[in-house]
Parts: sequence; structure tokens; C-alpha cells
Amino acid sequence: MSNLTIRGARKAYGATVALRRGDLDLREGEVHVLIGSNGSGKSTLCKIVSGSVRPDAGEVLIDGKTVSIDGPRAARALGLATFYQELSLAAHRTVAENISLPELPGKGGFFVDRERLNGIAERYIRRFADVAGEGFSADARVEHLREDQRQLVEIMKTLATEAPILIFDEPTSSLDRSQVERFFEVLRELKAQGRAIIFISHRMDEIFAIGDRVTVIRDGETVGTSLISETKPASIIHQMVGESELAVTNGAPPAAAEVKTEAVLSVAGLSAKGFVNVSFEVRRGEILGFGGLHGQGQSAVLRSIFGVNPTDQGTIHIKGEKRTIRSPREAIRCGLAYISGDRGRDGVVHGRPILENVTPIHFLRNKLSLVRPGSLRERAAKPLSALKTRFAGYDQPVNALSGGNQQKIVIARWLIDRPDVLLLDDPTKGIDLQAKTDLFALIRSLAAEGMGIVLYSSEDAELLANADRILVFNSGSVSRELTGADRTRYNLYHAAYEAA
Amino acid sequence: MSAIETGTSQRPGLAALVERFPFLPALVILLALLALNGWFQPNSLGFRAITGLISTYLALMMLSVAQTYVVYAGDVDLSVGAILSLVNCVIIVLMERWGGGGIAVLMACALGILTGLACGLLNGFVVAVLRLQAIVATFATSIFFTGIALYVLPVAGTPAPTIYWRTYGGRFFEIPFVFYVVAALAIVLVMATRARLTTQMLAVGDDAFKAFQGGLPVTAIRLKGYMLCGVFSALAALCITGDTASGDPLVGGAMTLYSVAAVVLGGTALSGGRGSVVGSVLGALIIGLISSLVFYVGTPSQWQNLVQGLAILLALMLGVMVTRRVQR
Repeated sequence: MSNLTIRGARKAYGATVALRRGDLDLREGEVHVLIGSNGSGKSTLCKIVSGSVRPDAGEVLIDGKTVSIDGPRAARALGLATFYQELSLAAHRTVAENISLPELPGKGGFFVDRERLNGIAERYIRRFADVAGEGFSADARVEHLREDQRQLVEIMKTLATEAPILIFDEPTSSLDRSQVERFFEVLRELKAQGRAIIFISHRMDEIFAIGDRVTVIRDGETVGTSLISETKPASIIHQMVGESELAVTNGAPPAAAEVKTEAVLSVAGLSAKGFVNVSFEVRRGEILGFGGLHGQGQSAVLRSIFGVNPTDQGTIHIKGEKRTIRSPREAIRCGLAYISGDRGRDGVVHGRPILENVTPIHFLRNKLSLVRPGSLRERAAKPLSALKTRFAGYDQPVNALSGGNQQKIVIARWLIDRPDVLLLDDPTKGIDLQAKTDLFALIRSLAAEGMGIVLYSSEDAELLANADRILVFNSGSVSRELTGADRTRYNLYHAAYEAA
Repeated sequence: MSAIETGTSQRPGLAALVERFPFLPALVILLALLALNGWFQPNSLGFRAITGLISTYLALMMLSVAQTYVVYAGDVDLSVGAILSLVNCVIIVLMERWGGGGIAVLMACALGILTGLACGLLNGFVVAVLRLQAIVATFATSIFFTGIALYVLPVAGTPAPTIYWRTYGGRFFEIPFVFYVVAALAIVLVMATRARLTTQMLAVGDDAFKAFQGGLPVTAIRLKGYMLCGVFSALAALCITGDTASGDPLVGGAMTLYSVAAVVLGGTALSGGRGSVVGSVLGALIIGLISSLVFYVGTPSQWQNLVQGLAILLALMLGVMVTRRVQR
């Protein structure tokens, strides 16, 4: 069995440093918890160990010997196996095949040994058979399984490597109580066998139920490692927030805007894929923040309200009127606007001139078909200059602009005809600091003019600085609402990790 | 293993069946076409006519199998027709130069298959190792291969040795030679579905990045897919040489997209990850039967292309509709 040590690992993507100084000391026979807020670098650290990211500096040692991990295959050869948060399963293959991939048991070097394949699968399925639920079997195809069942397959696939060092990156995010308990039983057995296990979770109770030691990462640096038995949730969150941060934000969160007007958007009991029973109200003049760790349902809620994804249950009232929204077109006609951080997918019309990129919503809302370019330019000019957009001419293709300016074009498109509600889905992804400042100034002034704004941001600092209220999401539902002086980083992490 | 049975029985019977055997819709279309052929021309279901159909379309069957192996992994090969032409020219020239005896024919065939393998290796290198777009890269290599074919045999028409086409068109123990080839192909394909490489290729086709993260040697697997494709393209060339009994540097050009059509008709997803080689063989036969049906129905010659195109379109729609309905 093996010990794993990481010293001074560093990784930068262009100018952004994802990991500044990652240190980790993993011993055999322990479950080592890795914890840190959004973008703190814990995933990057995991990816370095699993071989999908190569560090710029630092070293990785196994049993005291420096090793170089050139890729996932090299990692496997060194005895490292990884549970991937986004899963590494082939959807059209069976459970049994996925468990044994990539090392399918062979017969005569050429054929798959079906008997052994099923034998291996049965060995791991058996452990979870009574908690896996309906339709889970060795020859079921992964595409037909539920999300929690797929996660179980990925767990089994990781276990089937029988590697001495196992890395679990959020293995329990979709599992139910009984599945988690069974998984922990298995982890305890592996621990007793002397395996070394890295465990990442966003549930504080799980961390304390299974962990032996915990390493906290903040802003790309390892802050420290402590024994779980000698620490408590509050002090872990203290470490994640940092002393200096605590002193500052505990003093005075930015004043919330005075809002007493009627609700412009109210959502009640909304459920769909990715979230359950979400209810909230946004008033005119208010910026409502969505917070928490990545992918806890924040984006899914916004996309469902805007009609991108279907909803299963719940009601949406806009300006007091009940609305059923089945497509983005309907949402736009109801007075909603949606701006995504994923400009490439949701925002920009690639290769087309700026003018065309600013005006599609204007066309839709006014049912226009033929327009003089001159009059369109006049209409486009005002929001573009309000946003301080830098561009050479309206006929310039939008791709010629920087990310920040592209995002301004996308925002400008909603400002020719003012919407009532602005849904912002992590809008500052990949744009520079100046553009961010401009953007938030604009959002605040739009709110002041009477728009209701929902802001999801994966950057906690942005959220704390700009939102009047914050709903913290955890596993697809709102775990806490932060208002007034409660809007501190400490409370945000506390709620995000569901610390008791 | 009782759990296994409950797993499949949860899906409706037909859906589970089509999922297990994705070529079933193609098989139904094929049988319908056979019936239609028989209706318009009873002789077309006779032994002689079926033998003729198979000797003509065996090359396309092989070529469709070749295409399937790259489509499995989410790739495509637009050079299969050019590889076929090149191998056709290479073996014709070699057999002529070496005197056309039995040994010469076998040697030429072996070298032809090696040529196909080399072409596949080049395609795989360009697509999987250098990571160029499969469609564009293999389109470029197809022009390159055609260029070599024109160098090897500048003018069409050099005949194949008598022993070669007599064997291909002949009979052994009263059974036509092509039937043995079909039987051998069937055995190879059934064996291949059980191969580790097939499962690995399909896993890569599902999601190449996930497969890479999961530890599969993605580049090597795609490379092997292209090499297999090259070998089966060469086998297709051996068949077409037997059928036409001559060399032609441009013989395969039009067949490339037919092979893609046959793959899709057979129920294989062009996006990769799902499908069957058997389906592709059936797809090639469907294309063959459509051509003969158009002829038997008595379509005027100037309308034959139009009707044939519409019929292929119709078959595609039927297959896709059935598959989609079942997958819901």
C-alpha cells in the first residue's frame, strides 16, 4: 500500500492561477478530506493526481519516490484511480462493461471474457444491490439509469481498479441516504485494508462521518491539515474563509438597497431536473443573489424559469400574473431576460456583425421584419455607450471583440426594450476586471430604475458585494437565506456546506 | 443472475430487442424489399439472381463494414472508395507483371491487403495522432490515394487473370464462391462483436474525453479503427476486382458515400458509440435491392437516379423513425 505526497503543485491557465501552492500528504489507511470553496483549486489538485492536468511546478511523490503522471493511463499504472465528478462512463455500454473498462477481461487476448466480465461486475454490484434501486443490473445500459445509479456505477468502476490510492471527487452528490451509508461502509473496509483515500464532498456531516484528516485549500493554496477528531465544522469554515476576510466582512456587508415595492417575479414550489421545490420572490429594485457551490441547481432554476429547460412542477408569477413558460420566446414576451456566462453557447451569434448581435430581442419583442439599418443603429447606440462598449463599427463581426466586450453586446441586446426581470447566470465568467466593475455598476443602476434582478455567481466575492439578499443552494434546494448583516463569507460557506 | 433478467424486462419488449440488435429495422426493410422484388420479377428471388446480387454488392458490403469500424469510434473515413481503387489497381498490375498464375494471384492479394492497411495507418495517423478533422483529413487522403492509383494504372482496362475472376464467379461443390465469402465474413463479424477492441471503440465513440479520463488509450484505439477500415477496404477491392475482372483507378470513387449510407441504414449512429456491423452489411444489401427494384419496376432510364435516390431516402426515414420511436 502507498503514501502519496504533493509538494508545491502549481497550475496556471494563461494569466489565471488555478493552483498556487498545493500541498497534500496522504497516508495509507486513511480517508483524507479535501475541502475548499468555489475555485479554490481542489479540483485542479485532484486532476493533477489523476493525470488529466499537468502541473507547471511542484512534485508528486509515491512512497517517497518522485513520479511524473503524464496522463490518466500513467496514473492508473502508478496505482491511482479516480472517481470523476462528471463521471467517465460510456452511456451506450452496459453496467458490467463500464465497471471493467478500460481493462476488459480478455480471452485469448482478443475476445472479451463475458463470464469474467459479469463475475467482476457482480462482485461490486452485490455490495450495493439492495440500495441501487429498480432497473440496476449488470447488463442494463448506463443511458437508462438514473443519476444516482450512474454515480454508483462510477463508484464501482473506481473500486474495480483495486488501486491502492483512490480519489473520490464528489461521489455522493446524487446519492440518497442509504446509498451514502453503504458507500461509507465500503470505504471503511478499504481503509482497513490500508488503502489511501481522498474524499471530496460538500456535505459537512459526511465529512465528519467518514474523514480521518482534512486539508483546507483557500485561493489556490493549502492552508493546513488537521485531524477530524480534533476539529469542528465551524473551525474548518473559518480556515476556508481566512482570518483577514473574517475581520473585514464581519464588520460591514454592503448596505442592501431599500426595496418595498411589489414582487415582479415570484416562483413557488418549482421543481425540475437538478432542483426541487424552489420558491422565492424578486422585487423591483432588488438584486437577489443565488449562491453556494457550483452546480447545486442555481443555473438549472434560471434556465427553467426562462423556458430553456422544462419544469415538472410549480408556478411562476410575473408582475402578479400567472404565466406558463414553455420556451425562451414566451419568456421574452413575458418580460424576462436571461444572460449566461457561457456566451459561446447561449449569447453570441458567431461571425455576425455587432448590429445583428444587439438587435434580435428588439426584433422579437416588436415583431419587426424589415427595418432601416440607420434607425436600428440609433436604437443600438444608447445601450452600447451606456455600457462603455469599445468597438470599431456596427459591421464588425462580434468575434473580433474581447470576452468582456462580447458580453456587453449580449447585455445591450436586452436594454433596447427594457425587460422587467433580468436573470444573470454566472455572467462574469471569463471577462476582465474592468468589464466586471462596469457590469455590476450597470446592474445596480438597472435595479435602481425598477428592474428585478436575479444574480447567480460562482464567485462568492461578487455575490457578497452586489446582492441584497442571497439564497444559498445545496443539492438542488435552498438551504438558507442570507439578508442584511448576515451576508458574510462565513455564513455563505456555512450554509453551502450545510454545517450543523 | 436473476437480476440481469429483471433489468432488461423493464424496457418494453420491442425496445429492448432493437436496442440489443440495432439492425432489426434494416432487416425488416430488407425483407420488404425482397418481397417487392419478387412481386415485380419472380425470377429475382431465384438462386441465380441472388448469386448475381451478392457478387455485385459484396464489395459494397465489405466497404460498409470498413466504414462501420471508424464510425464506431465517432470518426468517418471518406477515403474508403479511394483505397478500394488503389488496391484494385495494385493487384491488377502485380498479377499481370507476375504472370497471372495461382501463386502470383495470392501474392498480389496479400500485397493488396497490406496496401489497404498502410492507407488505414496513414488515415489513422492524420486523424487520431495529428488530430485533424476526420471529414476533411480523409477527404484529402482520398485525393492522395486516387493520385497514387492513377500513377500505378493510368488508364482503366487492364484485365484480371482468368483464374482470378473464374474463381470469384465460379462454384465449389455446387455452391457459388461468393457464398463462401459471405459465410466467412459472417463468422468474422460475429467474432468481432465479441472483441475487446469493439467495446473499446464504442466506448470512445460515446465520449472520447470521458474515455480518455477513464484510462482508455483513445489515440491507439482510433488508429486501430482506421487500420481495420483499411483492411476491409482492401478486401472490398478484391471483391470488386473479381466482379469487374479489370483494373480501374476511379472504380471506388462513388462508393464512399454509399458506404456511409449503408452504415446509417444499418442502424449505426454516425455520432459513434452505438451500432452493428451486421446492420451495415444489411444496409449495403438494401442499397443493392433498391437498385434492382428500380430496374424491375421498369423505370425509364432517365428517371432511374431520381427514383433510386427517393427510395434510399425513404428507407433511411423508415429506419430512423423506428429507431427513434423505440428509444423514447
